[in-house]
Amino acid sequence: MTGTHLLEVRGIDVSFGGVHVLRSVDLDADSGFTGLIGPNGAGKTTLFNVISGYVAPKAGTVLLDGVEIQGTSSLSVARSGVARTFQTPKLIGSMTLLDNAMLGIDGRKVEHPFLRAIGAPRTERRLRAEASEMLERFGLGGLLYQSVSSLSLGSQKIVEVARALLRQPRLLLLDEPAAGLSVTDVEALAAPLAEYANAGLAILIVEHDLELVKRLCPEVIVLEFGRVIASGPPHEVTQRPDVVAAYLGDETLASRK
Amino acid sequence: MQSGDLKVQSKLTSITTSKRNRVALSIAALVLLGVVAVALPHYANGFQLFVVTEIAIFSVACLGLTVAIGWSGQTVLAQTGFFGIGAYGTNYLFAHHVPWLISGLVIAAGCALLGLIVGLPAARLKGFYLAIATLAFAELIDQVYNDATPVTGGANGTAVRIVTIFHINPASALWYMSIFLLVASALVVRQFGRTRIGRCLRAVRDADIATSSLGLSSAQWKVIAFMISAVLGSLAGTLYGQALTFLSPDAFSFDLIIEFLVVVFIGGVDRIWGAIIGASFFVLIQEALQSFGFYQRVVFGVTLLLVVRFLPGGIVSIVPTARAFFRNRRDQQLSREPDVARAGAEQA
Repeated sequence: MTGTHLLEVRGIDVSFGGVHVLRSVDLDADSGFTGLIGPNGAGKTTLFNVISGYVAPKAGTVLLDGVEIQGTSSLSVARSGVARTFQTPKLIGSMTLLDNAMLGIDGRKVEHPFLRAIGAPRTERRLRAEASEMLERFGLGGLLYQSVSSLSLGSQKIVEVARALLRQPRLLLLDEPAAGLSVTDVEALAAPLAEYANAGLAILIVEHDLELVKRLCPEVIVLEFGRVIASGPPHEVTQRPDVVAAYLGDETLASRK
Repeated sequence: MQSGDLKVQSKLTSITTSKRNRVALSIAALVLLGVVAVALPHYANGFQLFVVTEIAIFSVACLGLTVAIGWSGQTVLAQTGFFGIGAYGTNYLFAHHVPWLISGLVIAAGCALLGLIVGLPAARLKGFYLAIATLAFAELIDQVYNDATPVTGGANGTAVRIVTIFHINPASALWYMSIFLLVASALVVRQFGRTRIGRCLRAVRDADIATSSLGLSSAQWKVIAFMISAVLGSLAGTLYGQALTFLSPDAFSFDLIIEFLVVVFIGGVDRIWGAIIGASFFVLIQEALQSFGFYQRVVFGVTLLLVVRFLPGGIVSIVPTARAFFRNRRDQQLSREPDVARAGAEQA
């Protein structure tokens, strides 16, 4: 139980009012992709909120590299190296893509606070080049100076992922990054992410696109009604009848009729 | 192939040239402004000089609000407090033989510290509560003007010790200092706006929930905005004291808070030019309608309503709004006449 995984979630309980959202959830994540799947309302986003410090659990621990981070603040969790995206991207609509991406760098620990405060041109230029490069990796190099509000939802989600990566996190939480993306957008998103995962970044991903999950994640965890009902390699897990029933519930019933 | 390369080449050169042009243009504009500023006292009468000086001073104080209200989205009503401290504090030190410039800078540093002290608890408040808390601060300072008689002269006020620089006529000297302070603060605020401070403050304003997930502390950035605003308010106040020549609590009353808000909202709350245009509009109307008293307020009220309704970005947004309007209309026309558009494209 101690410190063998980068992220260890143990026995997390969360309830809102009378509703038990998460019941004794365990989860491990190490470098590479880990998938988190389950039907709507299973508690996936709440689990993300617990890990990233937005929701304090009623019971249980979240260990990042062996250090307890549950119940602190979202700020201190972020500063300890966790980056996340949101189901609906939280970008600054009035700012350009580049400036939005720069916020990822702005949130890093600053080595020369004074130079950064006055926006010293040389430092600023170097960091801008870094942010542009990141956006280019995701195929957004041509839109650097567009305002974010003029982008499609898909591109906005990709910008948010790029921004999270620019924070140089140890653990990246992606909340349905591919929802609402076109096929080409999904490719533009998946390829650079896979490179990061291969290079050792731990990425925990909530996603409904099962094909994408199967392709990226060597390991998936299935949540239903706040409980982990299965975990293992995706092709095995998604064959299990209870998972099929949970995940595709209504549709299977409909097809049986 | 070759022509494509040439096109890219020419596009690249045109980007660098346009950047170089812009720099040259900015320098030319600054030089022109310098010449006009230096020449102005020789052509303007005393009243006109006072008016432009007042515009410059109000602009600086309102630039502080551009940062605090416009960028970081905080409803800060404390600016007159710092404005007054700048005026009274500098005058007090100067009257006690501290060099004037040093007095102004010391008071500004003090206001930064005070901004930090007030900002730390205030950064936890939002909207209405923040407005009330900062208003309470301004009212508290207002009480100090009235009661700290040895320093402020109390309700009777106190005469300002006028600073003389190189035997220049004080009104002209004050104008030079005011326009210099305005240009300097506008450039500094512009630099802030384009770099880390500007980005982080806008993130605090527009994506409050996500800010912490980026490792950025909303509270910390709000306090920084508050401190920048306090320093600008104080520096402007230092000059305002010289402009008024006599300080009394009336000059820094509740009305002034509202006037500052009118300035930034009429001008454009998150733009540097917004503060300057707003201050110009406000001071000019106020002086023009001086003898009509009550009607000043009517004009401001109606203008504010019209601006908020039709130009939420303030007067400064007229140009982009108009441009977008005409572009839309042109696009609509083009889409209504697709054949004409296509023929045009083929010819091109």
